[in-house]
Parts: sequence; structure tokens; C-alpha cells
Amino acid sequence: MASLNSQSGPQSFLGMIGIALKMLMGDPVKYFGLVFGIGFSTLLMSQQASIFVGLLTWGANPVLDVRQAQIWVMDPRVKQPDQGQPISDQSLYRVRSVDGVAWAVPYARSAATVKTMQGNIAAITLVGVDNQSMVGLPEENLANSMAAIRGRNAAILDGNKTNLIWADGRDPVGEVVEINDNRVVVTGLTSSLANFSGLPTLYMKYSDAIAITPPERNKLSFVLVSAKPGVEPEALAKRITEVTGLKALTRQQFAAAGTQFIIENTGIPISFGAAIGLGILVAVVITALTLAMFVAENLKNFGALKAIGVTNQQILVMVLSQAMLVGFIGYGIGIGGTAAFLYFGQADPSLRGFKALGEIVGGSALLVMAIVLGSAYASVRKVLKLDPAIVFRG
Amino acid sequence: MSIISPQAAVIDQVIKEFPSGNDVIRVLHGISLGIDYGKMTMLVGPSGCGKTTVLSILSGTLSATSGTVTVMNERLDRLKNDDLVRFRRRKIGFIFQQYNLIPTLNVAENAAIPLISDGVAWEDALAQSGRMLDHLGLGPHKAKYPRQLSGGQQQRVAIARALSHNPALVVCDEPTAALDAASGQAVMALLDEAADDPNRAVLVVTHDDRIFSFADRIIRMEDGRVIDDGLTQSLPQKV
Repeated sequence: MASLNSQSGPQSFLGMIGIALKMLMGDPVKYFGLVFGIGFSTLLMSQQASIFVGLLTWGANPVLDVRQAQIWVMDPRVKQPDQGQPISDQSLYRVRSVDGVAWAVPYARSAATVKTMQGNIAAITLVGVDNQSMVGLPEENLANSMAAIRGRNAAILDGNKTNLIWADGRDPVGEVVEINDNRVVVTGLTSSLANFSGLPTLYMKYSDAIAITPPERNKLSFVLVSAKPGVEPEALAKRITEVTGLKALTRQQFAAAGTQFIIENTGIPISFGAAIGLGILVAVVITALTLAMFVAENLKNFGALKAIGVTNQQILVMVLSQAMLVGFIGYGIGIGGTAAFLYFGQADPSLRGFKALGEIVGGSALLVMAIVLGSAYASVRKVLKLDPAIVFRG
Repeated sequence: MSIISPQAAVIDQVIKEFPSGNDVIRVLHGISLGIDYGKMTMLVGPSGCGKTTVLSILSGTLSATSGTVTVMNERLDRLKNDDLVRFRRRKIGFIFQQYNLIPTLNVAENAAIPLISDGVAWEDALAQSGRMLDHLGLGPHKAKYPRQLSGGQQQRVAIARALSHNPALVVCDEPTAALDAASGQAVMALLDEAADDPNRAVLVVTHDDRIFSFADRIIRMEDGRVIDDGLTQSLPQKV
């Protein structure tokens, strides 16, 4: 007899999984409906989450771009790096006098308008970095940037956004632009991290930058500080605040403040949260409805299987394996779509710096699996309670 | 058939009640009967007389409200659910009125389900069910899907599924109800052959009088009671 040769246990579950997958894939409308429904919702969730995180990072990038500085010192009312509230030049010296400070340098950051020789005008962010140390320049191509910026009224430009100034795609190196009636020569290109304002950033020596900005009493935006070896930046920042009365934040704290500002002052969390919520809703609705329909249409067959002697555990494994298969494939399609979007999006400056973080990839996977397994369990409960004698009732 | 067989299944003083709102409807009124090995027993009677309920209780898919149910010396009314399911899987073959083949599995895979669910390796199960299909004349159709077969062929696949694990009791619920006369006769001929095995009992619930001639014994029911339990000597000669 078959039963004498049978092994039951794992072998029987493997066999029933094989039957389950054939049942699923033999119904291509529902199979592809589930796969693409889950794929679409995964795409929606992971892509929107990646853009959301990328936008939040933009708020922190002006700080993250300056890797040498451990502490940023500013007016106590400043909440984020693009909020210019100048402090007095004396502040620089007061900060330098605080015990534990290795070095402190000036950093100016303000909005400006450039006019090109071709007659174009464009809004920019003008950054003035310390004349000697050049702390504040982006890391990429740093040596060349430092050399290029040495000359009087020389500037280097963020090469990712030159099209916002010269739409004809020309090489901007050697171009002369006018800022507040001052001639500035673009002597090199750099690459700064994408920022929330979306404006091109022009870097000059601090002395040049404050010389060409409109006259006002104070022009120093931030003091950038490094702690002496062995001094904790966080402790030093507190000490600077105590001594000077200025706000002093570590690099990480100020970067976080930049993202927090976006969260609290823009509609971005709500709009992206809604899109991500929509993705979850799509996944739940499509998966739950399709699986419920699939189970309902096969109810008689499941009843027959139960009568024949297929156990509830085997049926549970069957439906869960069907759900996991469509979950894996759908998730793969969705996350692949997000990866493709982000990869090809790098060519577009407006999408630069967006990444599918591990947390997003993993979180989407967990969410999708929770949705499909939850939906599968909800739909299979009817089968588990099904009286096998139903199959005899016509 | 002249051999005296022990009984494969016995129900004794079985009562079955179903709840209906605040009331209870009694559909079986203390029924007692036995099903013999090596014979085809038919349970007949008008719709609603309780014959399908008897079949369900005998096959372990429905529990009796009271009374005892013994199949192959095993008291089904005392088995735990998991043991009952395992018992059904290994000892009983099922044939349904609507075939209940899985439309997305091919013929060989459908016939192999009892074996696969019992842990027989996929290839071994297909080989074993394939031999049964060959025996039933369905060898050329193994790779086909149910929708590609006629009703009679589909019921023969269901018979192959019911017999593939060589069960000792085969229960059939209206096996010819959805078939034309010729297909019904062919299906019954196969079941009759299966019933010739002295180690197997076949119970057929039907109200199709065209197939009564295949019975070794006919039990008539009415209103939840057995009203006649006779051998085929009193019926038209068995074909």
C-alpha cells in the first residue's frame, strides 16, 4: 500500500507545495495580477520612501558637504544651514578662545544672483570659505579646487547645476559672471551634494565672498570648528555655547536639524506619507482580494482535498507558499523598478543623491511579506474551518 | 460473489442531528448497517433521505451525533481529528459527483494527490498513479488537463485518484449523475472491477436506477431510516 512506502512529514509538505504552486500558476490572470499588484505597490512604497529620505538628506547636505568641521557655530535663532543670520566677526575670535578648540574658521553662506556675459541671470548660493585652510570646499577634486580659488575674485562652481546658469551646455570654466556688479571668473568645477534649495553653489575665498555681497554690518554666517585631539565635539559644542552665547552644534546635530526643519516646515512628509500609505493600501487590497477570490473559487477543490485527507496544516502551507511566491516575485519586480529608477535618475540633477537605503529595501520586504502572509492567512481561515463533507453537498 | 467477507465498515445506532436556528433537525434516526468487503453496496433513496449523510459519516468526513462508526476495525468516532484525516488519506478512496479534479493539474498529477499528500515522492507518486491510469485506459491522457477531457473521462480520472493508494474502502457520491448513459456504464464497470477485490469494499450513493444492476447489495433509505436491506438476488441480474 502507498501508506507503507510513504514518509509523510516534510516530503508531504514539499509535494503539496508543488501542487499549490501549480494551482496558482495555472491561473495566470490571478497569478500575474498578484505579482504585478505587489510589484506596483512595492515600487510605490520603496521609490517614494527613497525620494522622501533623499529629500530629507538634502536638508542636511550643506553640512555633510563640509567634512572637516566637527562643530558649527551660529546665531542662536538659526535652525538650518540655508537660514542665513550673520553673526559678528568677533564671534570667530571668541570661539577660537574656547578651551579645546583646535581651529575655528569663518564660513559665509548667502543667496545671490549671477548675470552672465550672455545676459542670463540665475539665483545661486554663494559660499565663502576660509582663505588659508579652504575648509568648506567639497571634498571632490579638493586639491584642484583649492588651487583654482586662490586668485582674486576666482570662483569654482558646482558642476552638477551649470545648466541652470548656461542652458546651452557650455563649459563654464573661464566664463565671467557678474555678482552685485562685481566680476567673478569661474576657474574650476566641483561637485557638491544636492541641496534642498536646488540652486547652483558658487565657492569663493571668504574675503572675496564678503566683498561682493551687499553691505551689511555682519557677514559671517557660521564659524566652523574642529576640536583638539581627545576633546569630545559634543562637550566642546556645549562649552562654546556657554562661553560665547552662540548656538554650537556638532556636525551630526546640525545635519539632523536640517532634516528636521524639512519635516516640520514642509508638506513633504504628508505627501510622501500619503503615497507610501497608498502603496500599502494597494498591496493589501490587491493581495487580500485576489487571494480571497482564489480561495473562494477553489473552495470546493479545497473541500475535496480535505476529504481526501489533506490536513489543515498542509493547506495552510499550500496557501502561504502561494502567497510567498507571488510576494517574492512581486517584491523583486518592485524593488528592481525602484533600483532602476534611482540608477537612471542619477543622470538628472534633480534626483541626484537619492538612494534605496538598506532600511527601505529591508522594510519594504518585511512589509510586503507581512501583507501577503496576513492576506493569505485571512483568506485560508475559511478553508481551515471548512467542513470536508461540503464536497458531498452538490 | 460467493465469498463470505467480514464487514469493512459498520455503523450502529447512528443518530445525526443538524442545528437549524434554535431547533435541531434529525436526519438519521438510529441507523445500523454494515458494508461488506468484496462487494459493491449501493445506498439508494429519494433526495433528502439521509444517504449522503450516511456516506459522510462512514467516510469520516462528518461526525455522528451519537452511535458508533467502525471502519476497518477502527472506531472513527473515537479518533482525534489528525488521526481521522490520516485514516481517510490512507484507507479511503473518494469519488465525487462533480469529479472535483484540480483544473490546473494534469491528469497524472490529479490522480497522484492522495499519494503526494501522504508523503510519497513526486516522481514515485506519478509513476504509481500512472500505472492506475494505464489500467483504466487513460494512459494516453496523462499529460492532459481536466478541461481537455469528457465528463466520463474526468470521472475515470477521479476513480484513478480514488484507487491510486489502494484503499480498502471506496465511497462514491452519485458517480454517474453528471454522465450520459454510456459513460455511466463505463464508469460503473470500473468500480465493479474495483469492488471484486476481496480486500476492498465499495459504497455507492445514487438515485440513478440505470446502474442498480451493478450492485451486489442495495440498501434503501427513506426519511433517515433504512427501509430495505437486500441482496441483488431480488433485483435484475448483475451485469
